[in-house]
Amino acid sequence: MIFATAASAPKKLRPASEVMKLERLGSMFASRLSFVRSLMRKMITEHWQIVNTVFDLDSKGHGLAIYRITTPANCYHCVIFSRDLAPEKRSDRVIAEAWDVTFALVEGEAENSLLEQMAANVPLQEAGRQHPRVLVLSRANKSLRNFSQFVAALAAGHQPDPALLTAVGYLYRTTAVYGNGKFGIADFARLERNADFNRPFAAQMLLVYILRQFSVEQLNHLASVQAPETSVPLHPELQRYLGIGNSTGLGMAPFLINHPQLIQQWVYGRERALARAREKPATAHTHARLHVLMSRALKHLQQTQTEDREQTLRNQKTVCSVAEVIDWLDRTPAHHALYEELISWARGHCSLEAQELINTMLIELYPELVDRLDDQLGCRESMDLKPDMKAWQLRDLINEKFDWALSYREDCPDDNYWFWYRSVEKEEPRLGVRGTESGAEKESALAIGPRISRCYGKLERFLAHNPNAIVVDFLLAHPEQKECVRRIQTIGDTPYGEIRANLWHRDMKPMHLLRTKLSFFGASRFDPKSDRWVRITLFQGAPLPWELSNPNLSLQQLDDWGFPLEPCLGGEENAQTIRGDTP
Amino acid sequence: MKVSFNELQGLSRKAFSGIGFDDGDANDAADVVAWMEAHGLDGIAALQKGLNFLLNEDKSQPPELIYQDADLCVVDAHNKTVLGHASLAIELGYAKCRARGLSVTKIRHCHNRMLIVGYLSRIARRDMSITAFWRNSHEPLTEILVSFKAGDSEPEICMYSLPSTPDDTEPNDGITLVMVNHVNLLPDLKPDAPLNDLLQQDRHAMASWHERSLVEGIEVDTALWEQLKVLATKMLVEASDDSRQGAGAGTNDND
Repeated sequence: MIFATAASAPKKLRPASEVMKLERLGSMFASRLSFVRSLMRKMITEHWQIVNTVFDLDSKGHGLAIYRITTPANCYHCVIFSRDLAPEKRSDRVIAEAWDVTFALVEGEAENSLLEQMAANVPLQEAGRQHPRVLVLSRANKSLRNFSQFVAALAAGHQPDPALLTAVGYLYRTTAVYGNGKFGIADFARLERNADFNRPFAAQMLLVYILRQFSVEQLNHLASVQAPETSVPLHPELQRYLGIGNSTGLGMAPFLINHPQLIQQWVYGRERALARAREKPATAHTHARLHVLMSRALKHLQQTQTEDREQTLRNQKTVCSVAEVIDWLDRTPAHHALYEELISWARGHCSLEAQELINTMLIELYPELVDRLDDQLGCRESMDLKPDMKAWQLRDLINEKFDWALSYREDCPDDNYWFWYRSVEKEEPRLGVRGTESGAEKESALAIGPRISRCYGKLERFLAHNPNAIVVDFLLAHPEQKECVRRIQTIGDTPYGEIRANLWHRDMKPMHLLRTKLSFFGASRFDPKSDRWVRITLFQGAPLPWELSNPNLSLQQLDDWGFPLEPCLGGEENAQTIRGDTP
Repeated sequence: MKVSFNELQGLSRKAFSGIGFDDGDANDAADVVAWMEAHGLDGIAALQKGLNFLLNEDKSQPPELIYQDADLCVVDAHNKTVLGHASLAIELGYAKCRARGLSVTKIRHCHNRMLIVGYLSRIARRDMSITAFWRNSHEPLTEILVSFKAGDSEPEICMYSLPSTPDDTEPNDGITLVMVNHVNLLPDLKPDAPLNDLLQQDRHAMASWHERSLVEGIEVDTALWEQLKVLATKMLVEASDDSRQGAGAGTNDND
């Protein structure tokens, strides 16, 4: 674990009191440190190969497909089962029991005995017992908005309208991507020592990336079956513009709260990248590049569509702010302190989203300072007590590092409005209103702020009678506080570990929690279905598998795929592209 | 059936919560069971053996500190399993050792004593050398000695039978822990002891077992697994139309 208090910390590191506010975290965008970007860079620099080895689909696109992934040291297989799914069974929720495709990433060869075991269990997902060589397990549903239109267009011999992918950037939407030992699959401890997947969520992201390739090849197959004489394959520009959707809900929240040390690494990595960029003097070149990046982001945001009213307003506000940022860049020439001036100006003039977009783009400017952080975003988590700490030191630690938690009011209805719980229906995480809905007595302990505040109250009362006591004395008197104290003592050294919000508060917006995690994954096109359920797109604009080892394309060219724009198939002027030849 | 380490740890944690453990104890107990099993120390069997006992014990009465001075503490666990608050007795010994260089902790009247090894591994990780000692009161009388070198993640364990039963009427249901800050205490049987040696497990064997557990998974009795699932369900909230809305997912995904 690398602590933000280390002497090597960059000077311009933002304080946790600013960064870890929920609203700001919920305004972040994917950056070049996001896991999909990091994975793609690794695949490009190491020339990973992804080859389809089995494509046994019937005329409806149902059957088995297998992809072989070869890295410098290992090989893996992605095994995909495509099945017929009745519309009434199509649900993105964890409580679903059937999906259009189910798939898994396995370590090593996919021999027949393993395939038989997988065929019997992968389609069952949570209800199956998965093989320990399975590294990641997932499932996805078709996006009906695009699928049939795309097949029909290709079958008729023309390309589908790119605007369809701008509205919904994918043909498939994953509804869960399981790693780390779930349902019998391999523990993360095995991946920690594997150089291919020791970065956070790397194996999960690879599986999603391969589903994207399958979605292209299944589409081409269906068009070809439907009209063998006239059909055409999907244009490479559209293949790149095609992402994979993900539909997700409150399940993101427990992960963020239950892995504070990992969150510290993610946020600290991002903040260090930003601080390093801010320390650099702007040049004419970086000024021009920043202008290009902001302009592309503006267009991307203008093209982003969502039916959610609140997100639409946020997007509009951000678009206005980003346009102002571009104006500001137009009238402000490059100078030594340009970035600081821009950040300071944006704080007074721009929405939080636009402020965070500027930060994302500053990080983008300096790959040589940032990319080495890719390998520092993971950590081995363990929380330990410091039982010999003086109890008054614990109180001081809370006052110093967790003051944000002490604003909780036990007797204020708004401070206690929500409760988090897991339903008996597949343990789906849900939110209930305390005092109105049943189940509060079984709530999940996710609201860290109120827990710390209560612990603090007990500690103060204990200290009044035991001023020289040590922490273990306090815990012997209040054993139920062990977990909370352990967390305080551990996370006290890791300022970016705790999200500074009362997750019970009436005004708390769960969407911010979802977006926090998704931005680190590399999600774009946030499309909420409600205040606690969102659809996003991954890998839209990313290089295609056959481009990964194309010697005519540099890493810089291949890696420049953030904030993708709708391609213009007939012309060049609007296309933000990676120029490669179809094999 | 085979399960992963994370699955065993996760379900155990939920089951311990369902039984009534506080969060911290549920986390610790689950870590202990999974760690023991993954290292070939029969954590699951120990849990299975003690589960009914656990279900019926009074969770409201924590272990009682009955004596302490600067170097020594004695805690009465009131005939409870070490999976509960025994961790705090260990932490008390740790605190004293940090202050004095050596501490002795006695935990009296406790069950499932072998499971304490899982928690001691954490103490060793925190750079403390620990030796745990206890006797089983059945025939043949055996002594168990578990010793962690500071910083090691696996212990050396010796279990050996005693050639003669001492004239002692006190029940053998306690554990003695010796922690030292600056030297290592490792078990070393006397030269004539191996004849009645029942078990000697070294840390290399445990590390190999751990590696195998990660690759092949962990074998669990299906009936116990189902029982843990039922216990875990106690922390889940019954579904209703209102609660289904609580996920915020909407009703139709055919788009």
